[in-house]
Amino acid sequence: MYRYDEFDERLVRERIAQFREMVRRRIDGSLTEEEFTLLRQMNGLYLQLHAYMLRVAIPYGTLSGRQMRQLALIADRYDRGYGHFTTRQNIQYNWPRLRDVPDMLELLADVEMQCIQTSGNCIRNVTADHFAGVAADEIEDPRPTAELIRQWSTLHPEFSFLPRKFKIAVTGSAVDRAAVAVHDIGLRIVADAKGRIGYRVTVGGGLGRTPMIGKPVREFLPREELLPYLEAILRVYNLEGRRDNKYKARVKILVHELGTEAFVARVEEEYARIDRGAVEVDAAEVARIAAYFAPPAFEALPARSEAFEKAARDPDFARFARTNLFPHKAPGYTALTVSLKPIGAPPGDATSDQMRVLADLAERFSADELRVTHVQNIVLPHVRLDDVPEVWAALVEAGLATANSGLVTDIISCPGMDYCKLATARSIPIAQEISRRFADPERERAIGPLGIKISGCINACGHHHVGAIGILGLDKAGVENYQITLGGEPGDLASLGERLGPGIDADEVPAAIERIVDVYLALRTDEAETFIDTVRRVGLDPFKPALQPQEPVRAAA
Amino acid sequence: MAGKRPALPLVLSASDLLDGDVVFHTGAGWDRSLSAALVATDEAGAQRLEAALAEVESGGPVAEPFLFTVTLDPSGAAVPNHYRERIRVCGPTVRHDFGPQAREELSHVSL
Amino acid sequence: MPLLDREGLQADPFDRADPSAEGVIVPFDGLEEALESGSNRPVGVDLPNHVHPSRLASHLDRLALVAIDFPKFSDGRGFSLARMLREQGYRGRLRATGRILPDQFAFALHSGFDEVEISDEQAARLPVGQWQLAPHQFSDNYVDTRDGRVSVFKRRRAAREAA
Ligand code: SF4
Repeated sequence: MYRYDEFDERLVRERIAQFREMVRRRIDGSLTEEEFTLLRQMNGLYLQLHAYMLRVAIPYGTLSGRQMRQLALIADRYDRGYGHFTTRQNIQYNWPRLRDVPDMLELLADVEMQCIQTSGNCIRNVTADHFAGVAADEIEDPRPTAELIRQWSTLHPEFSFLPRKFKIAVTGSAVDRAAVAVHDIGLRIVADAKGRIGYRVTVGGGLGRTPMIGKPVREFLPREELLPYLEAILRVYNLEGRRDNKYKARVKILVHELGTEAFVARVEEEYARIDRGAVEVDAAEVARIAAYFAPPAFEALPARSEAFEKAARDPDFARFARTNLFPHKAPGYTALTVSLKPIGAPPGDATSDQMRVLADLAERFSADELRVTHVQNIVLPHVRLDDVPEVWAALVEAGLATANSGLVTDIISCPGMDYCKLATARSIPIAQEISRRFADPERERAIGPLGIKISGCINACGHHHVGAIGILGLDKAGVENYQITLGGEPGDLASLGERLGPGIDADEVPAAIERIVDVYLALRTDEAETFIDTVRRVGLDPFKPALQPQEPVRAAA
Repeated sequence: MAGKRPALPLVLSASDLLDGDVVFHTGAGWDRSLSAALVATDEAGAQRLEAALAEVESGGPVAEPFLFTVTLDPSGAAVPNHYRERIRVCGPTVRHDFGPQAREELSHVSL
Repeated sequence: MPLLDREGLQADPFDRADPSAEGVIVPFDGLEEALESGSNRPVGVDLPNHVHPSRLASHLDRLALVAIDFPKFSDGRGFSLARMLREQGYRGRLRATGRILPDQFAFALHSGFDEVEISDEQAARLPVGQWQLAPHQFSDNYVDTRDGRVSVFKRRRAAREAA
């Protein structure tokens, strides 16, 4: 993985010094609260409902054991012994004190981490496929591209005060696991007929109040043109994006209002005159960055493992192996998903002890690498099949072996009103209750892949629009109320969920979800037809009665 | 303060700048306990809170001050009307070990 | 109003009203007229940040100053405008006016501005020292800047080539 050189290191340290000074200037009155707010946000610091919240970037979701251990140390020393992994491959601490934040930042910098631009109206942490370097269908590892973009966008003089936040995601695979279509800019690594590498560029995707799928602006952008072309897009957005209404300020609205064609024309016009030399990166530099992401030295192993197959006689292990392993391009290896969704727990939370267990496992069994996924889980990307039984046993011990990756209890949930100042309703308790309802692993297996995603307000941090079942918490005349959508999907066939009907009360939600699932089980052609496929085939109508309160009809599972 | 004043009775709250803790205006300063808050039940009280708010609006020892409506229970204690403020006063409903509820043994948020 | 460049406070040879000042700054819609007036006082213009810089293209050689407004410190259009004017070949003074903060001063200089003109209120609240410190808070940039910094990417290359 990438290692800072002297330039990267110095910049992060200087940023901390600047932040300390900024806090001092807020206290002495040089900065108003409004000014300080925007500036601290650009350092990842929010003021939430109960306390400050510090959001740490995990660039493209990749972490080493040492970094994970440091995150645990920070949780113990300056927070409450846990952290929350988010849908944007970040980790959030919910209880830091402003006076401690500069010291927390120093500890992060000690392991080459930081919080720069994890909030604010600037280019945010660049996300990528969490199976980068693992998937057999990968054209190229997306992380060198993401790292290049990270560096280019860090403290960019021109693009640090945009109309609104700006999110970029990169995927290098034929199958999109980075949800690039719902990002301000989505980049798909593609090869042209001559085998040259470039990018398919989409602009204007996003969730929030006005969810939209990104529009293609270039089918093939040659690799060396990436940064100048991004500059042209950002410049058009910086100049023309709306600043009169924060809900219309994202680039998706500009693309929508201008029309894709006119937007592309402006970008191309700007691209024709922009000073490309200012962001020129030579091939040797690209290669230098890429070298850090070279795959670990995989052993030549047989595709099957005896130890693994022996362990699979244990039904619990077998269930885990069926749900939480992803095929690895190297024979005899697997990518192992550690679910942060134990039944009934807040999704995405990990205690400092669990973080240390994960750090140990990464160092011993996964080439010292961990990944944070946008479904709020952790991946050990390079585990030998031979080692899976031992890793699994350690996970069981740490309460981290829930076998539910991609299943109905693998719920994405934003923090909602239990932490978030912007929330209109809570989301975690809804997730917890649904998770308890589907706790039976056999039933869950029978239901198959199903993504439930919950947001505590229209900002959609829980990605509810792209949930096969989406749940949005609202405030209806002083009572928490939840809107259910069906049919959303984040990946290649990206689609936005449709509202099933009027909102329902919090205590009705879990039963309604159960009834929706029962309708699916009754209607699916066979076990191979997933929930989303059934919804696409039969439409919403058969599901509508499920919103009405009634006794749950348990399907024979 | 943007918009109109919420209905009486009112409490002024904010977050402590350096610690981030939820604090309430007592009439003389800021305190972490809602029971210490000055509850404005009339126009004069409301104006007093608005003046205190204006003073810290753009700076000072607290951040993001705002007024919210409470109901006085039979013992005279202020209970926020909206669930958002009830959660804010107690702490996360999913972690009773954190926030003011852990400190003061408040009864957990009833919603 | 106070004028600062990277060295600190400076006297302002331009004024919007005072006819005895060395140069004059006119509003954007008065620019044609000022340039046609035949006076040989240097002419500057206030450029609102919603005006595309190509609209100054035909005047660039005759302008002694362009002042770009920051109506709110969170409105960063001015940074793009400055860089675009420099890309179009503008060589005169480039000034940021309005609500800009010391925390943005380095960005302004990197984007092609020479100076900032702030209000008395800002000057009282944000002492000169904070403005003087700002350009030195960071040693490096990942992109080339208009005030002569070479990008980290290129400096790495130079280091490689020297090795
Ligand atoms: S979706 Fe709303 S409630 Fe949830 S984290 Fe985002 S802003 Fe907060």
